[in-house]
Amino acid sequence: MAQSAVLPADQYNFDIVRRFMIVAMVYGVLGMTVGVYIACELAWPFLNFDIPALTFGRLRPVHTSLVIFGFGGSALFATAYYIVQRTCQARLAFPWLAEFTFWGWTGGVALGVITYMAGFSQGREYAEFEWPLDIAITLVWVCYIVVYVETVRRRSQPHIYVANWFFMSFLLAVALLHIFNNLAVPTGLLKSYSLFAGVQDAMTQWWYGHNAVGFFLTAAFLGMMYYFVPKQAGRPVYSYRLSIIHFWALIFLYMWAGGHHLHWTSLPDWVSTLAATFSILLLMPSWGGMINGIMTLSGAWDKLRSDPIMLFLITSLSFYGMSTFEGPLMSLKSVNALSHYTDWTIGHVHSGALGWVALVSFGSFYHLMPRLYQTKLYSQTLIYVHFWLATIGIVLYITSMWVAGIGQGLMLRSFDDYGNLAYTFIETVEFMHTPYVWRALGGAFFVAGALVMAYNMVMTARTSRREQAALEAKLAAKLAKA
Amino acid sequence: MNENMNEKQSAGAVQTTGHAWDGDLQEYNNPLPRWWLWCFYGTAVFSVLYWFIYPSWPVGQTWLKGFGSVSYTISDKATGKEKEQEYRWNTRSLLLEDLSDAANNTQRKEMMAKVRTADYDQILKDRKMMEFVRSVGKGLFGDNCAACHGRGGQGVAGMYPNLTDDDWLWGGGMNQIHQTLVEGRNGFMPAFGTVLKPEQMDDVAEYVLTLSGEARPGEASERGKEIFHGQVGGCYYCHGADAKGVQSQGAANLTDRIWTVVDLPALKTPQDKKTALKNLITTGVNNTRIMPAWKDRLSPTDVKLLAVYVRQLGGAK
Repeated sequence: MAQSAVLPADQYNFDIVRRFMIVAMVYGVLGMTVGVYIACELAWPFLNFDIPALTFGRLRPVHTSLVIFGFGGSALFATAYYIVQRTCQARLAFPWLAEFTFWGWTGGVALGVITYMAGFSQGREYAEFEWPLDIAITLVWVCYIVVYVETVRRRSQPHIYVANWFFMSFLLAVALLHIFNNLAVPTGLLKSYSLFAGVQDAMTQWWYGHNAVGFFLTAAFLGMMYYFVPKQAGRPVYSYRLSIIHFWALIFLYMWAGGHHLHWTSLPDWVSTLAATFSILLLMPSWGGMINGIMTLSGAWDKLRSDPIMLFLITSLSFYGMSTFEGPLMSLKSVNALSHYTDWTIGHVHSGALGWVALVSFGSFYHLMPRLYQTKLYSQTLIYVHFWLATIGIVLYITSMWVAGIGQGLMLRSFDDYGNLAYTFIETVEFMHTPYVWRALGGAFFVAGALVMAYNMVMTARTSRREQAALEAKLAAKLAKA
Repeated sequence: MNENMNEKQSAGAVQTTGHAWDGDLQEYNNPLPRWWLWCFYGTAVFSVLYWFIYPSWPVGQTWLKGFGSVSYTISDKATGKEKEQEYRWNTRSLLLEDLSDAANNTQRKEMMAKVRTADYDQILKDRKMMEFVRSVGKGLFGDNCAACHGRGGQGVAGMYPNLTDDDWLWGGGMNQIHQTLVEGRNGFMPAFGTVLKPEQMDDVAEYVLTLSGEARPGEASERGKEIFHGQVGGCYYCHGADAKGVQSQGAANLTDRIWTVVDLPALKTPQDKKTALKNLITTGVNNTRIMPAWKDRLSPTDVKLLAVYVRQLGGAK
């Protein structure tokens, strides 16, 4: 072999990337299936069968933790470890520590889900893990930071690529959020009380909750986007300047916006005003990422016709743009008075979670598969099938939630001639049944798409193994001859 | 890369920053899109305006209180008179405005005051007040009663009485409904499983079935009649000599086709009806037919409104 250049697969640690990608798919399919099941429970309540572990209250954190931390988190581990190596041209630092983050993260999510079903929960949204798991997660996260930062330090490139800024801000912010939100007084192995009380506690929870969206589900996935979109398009990123401005604006402004989850509560009015305005100010910094991603394709729009992976990535940016427009709108006091405590919020979060987070991850995984397995993707057609299943699913989901949410909001605040409520609560529940059925159907479409992808991935891996075996046999035969 | 070069680029082809990562990964250095920048400034202007309309930034010992203001009427504590008051915008003053000023709220308050002082007869005779009862009662019923009795008061056969018919277990007079709401009810029937012999049980059940036309009178029912009206069964103590029930005891009328503990008319075969009835007589009703007391949860006016609302759901009796 007269090849001087080292293959990327030999130069970099791809094994950990591959394993995180597989775990992400497994947790993703599981978590989304649980999501469809609880969506069905809301439409047909008998489905909880009076089994406590299957009730909505227990399965809901199972769903959110599996999709956010199991699927999203593992996808971020996979892509962060991949991107940092390739853009720094350095092999992943401390392989044993990276190995620990894999087992720690995967195991942590699994244990968390089991404890939820058994009825142990902190009752803090998106942070339901009880304190022993919180400590374990903190440990894993610190190791993640050490591995990542040390790899960046060992780079053989003078400049740090933009994707890495986003990942590092995400690593730092999530550590802060996780630690402060989970400060608690343990009273048993699986029981604790928050260190904060009353409105301070609520504020802490939503400072965490909103920035989990901001840094976990936005900044980090923008990092993913900044690598895979230009790579897949084969074109330079649209604007370096825009990336600097929107990065700093985004991470500065996000931290203040959490209070908009607590409009019209005992949160002081001035805090809620500031939260609303910082959310409005966030609109353009959020869109900066979308512009940079979509405009990267400017001059090569035809790729949307020929490359299904590009279709995934660009559609994800469109949903990102839509939900980051919807979010500031909903954060205004007057709009929030209608939208809060309704399914509009659920629809909004899913247009971000399914449309942006999941689609950009799927697109990135499709980009990764041939490179990690060193073979061609098993089927291009199946990527198109996945794309349409997912897109139809998202559209069904968010439109049905607009109907349910806005309808419910209007019903809850309509009065008759005497100033009495025109509808009872149960009437709003009855009204929502039909949209709930459509929502469950939308979710089912989305899961079906993810299953198609999992099949494509398994078949690609099998092809790779077969080709590898054939190659080795050839080599052995050659050696025997010589 | 100096500024001159950048300006030249924006005129013609844009250049990259000159860095490359991972082989072909590069960045153009396009200027910020104009529309993006202006929109960003626009959101900043919007935010500043928002800060001046609503309470916002803390400044020293005080805070920007906002230019928004609302007015509402409150009753003066000293004089007890209603007075108009203007106050700066906050969630509490906004609530007070909502409660006091909206046109329909004025009407609501007037009607509420009228109902508070009226007695049941006056309310029942007054069309306007009855309209109000239906408006307010719908919400009260939905929030407090519908969980058991159903949204329309239709009940659940065998568990929660239907309130839309004119068959009242505890009486449909205003005072009785009032009592039911305030103190609650606990339906009771003794178990006859150990009192009656199997053949006696059979006969009583046969007789009770004939009362509402579910079975034809015969020898068995004649024997049952004696048990029912005699000392052995003593059923007539509660259900009355005419078997039409006694409302002060909550004892059911057995001569109509409305059954609230076991839904006899819904059962298909005579055998099923008889078995279900015998099971009921055997076990009786003990702590399973409880209506909770609402006196600690509803205000006297709410009880009044609900009582009339429930009354107009069913018929008079």
